[in-house]
Amino acid sequence: MALPLPPGLTPAETGFLCETELVTVIPRQRLESLELLGGPTQPLNPPFPTPLPLWLALLLKKQRRANIQPPAWLTLSSLRTILDFETDDRTAAVFSPPPALPQPTTIPDPDLPYLSPGTVELSTPFLKDTHTTSAQEGALPYHWLELASLLLASAADDFPDADAIRILIRDLREVRMSKLRKGFKVLEGGAGLKINGVGGLEVAEVRGFVGGVVDGLRRLGRAREEMRREREEEGGDTGGVADEDGSEDEMGL
Amino acid sequence: MSYYSLPQIQTDAQKVPCTTLLPLPHLGHLSGNPSQTLENNTSLSLPLWLAEMLLIAPAPNTPAAITMDLPPPLQHRVVNALKANPVTLDLRAQAPHFYALGARMLELFEDEDLVEVLLETFRTRAVEIADRASGGVGGRAAGDEGGFLLGLEEEEKRLWEASREGSASVGKWLGSERVEDL
Repeated sequence: MALPLPPGLTPAETGFLCETELVTVIPRQRLESLELLGGPTQPLNPPFPTPLPLWLALLLKKQRRANIQPPAWLTLSSLRTILDFETDDRTAAVFSPPPALPQPTTIPDPDLPYLSPGTVELSTPFLKDTHTTSAQEGALPYHWLELASLLLASAADDFPDADAIRILIRDLREVRMSKLRKGFKVLEGGAGLKINGVGGLEVAEVRGFVGGVVDGLRRLGRAREEMRREREEEGGDTGGVADEDGSEDEMGL
Repeated sequence: MSYYSLPQIQTDAQKVPCTTLLPLPHLGHLSGNPSQTLENNTSLSLPLWLAEMLLIAPAPNTPAAITMDLPPPLQHRVVNALKANPVTLDLRAQAPHFYALGARMLELFEDEDLVEVLLETFRTRAVEIADRASGGVGGRAAGDEGGFLLGLEEEEKRLWEASREGSASVGKWLGSERVEDL
């Protein structure tokens, strides 16, 4: 039977993936280093701040064995700066810039085939290190909404001003979603839409809709594409028979 | 296209107006004269899958059995109405699978104008669906609320559901961590 799940990540799955991000924890009790699948954690010696995966940090917080330190971008001043940037009229078409990426570890080599291990560069959702907590002030990392809501839900007392931050996060979310929706007007069957700096949960929210729209546009424009291709081929080789469809998906391997 | 796809089957079942080019014996019952020959130049309404088959000439020197016109949902009147205001037109009343029908017609006829109009209609109505799904009010006439949603055709209904589901899952996830028990 066909799998009824939609393609791509659902918002709940994106939220779950966010829990692998590292956060800074201020322990209250000692804990030895744990051997996790991703590697060993650092031993916890109070009161030194230590990085731990978010799911472990939330567990310890629930058991009152640790406190979580909010990352630098999740402070009042940082969020206010970002909100000012987003609501500024001059930046109505772009999102606030994402944090700086770490240095690339591979050198692009045009002779190697596509997706060969020597040239694959990990990008935001899969970057091992956080990118989410080490993001500098004034930049929203990829999992900003998930991380912010998880921390505000479980560790609200670790924030000096949780309510104000909740309001700012909500405003940020509304502004960014409305920008995203404005971008729908220029969706094309074949072209792309530039949304640099968009967050994981935002993408998950519109994924189903945007996928459907682009697919529909593609189907309607298919006839036009074929006409154009036939005209090109007739112009290219005199009286050549038009090729079968299906060459769009082939990668030049 | 997929053999088992229900939307595809339903699209192909939609009727298109055709005109016969040859007299067809024993098929008179299609135009109301049973047990007689179907005359040349009779207008018929055939389902798309059948019309498409008959449209193709069986051999290079044998003429095709029928010729086909654009179905009523895609004729000038509707196209002009779409150019004027795509949002207010009730597409469902025209054809439940309007865009799919349009795509199939475009495979058989070449009509640049129709392509443009359909693309623009689809895009405009999709933006409208997104606005409504996110709960935006934005100055729509209060009485029109039900009208637009009832007039959505099949593909637009899927977009509407996808859009609602997206917002609902995000809301559910954001709300659920309040009561989460690790």
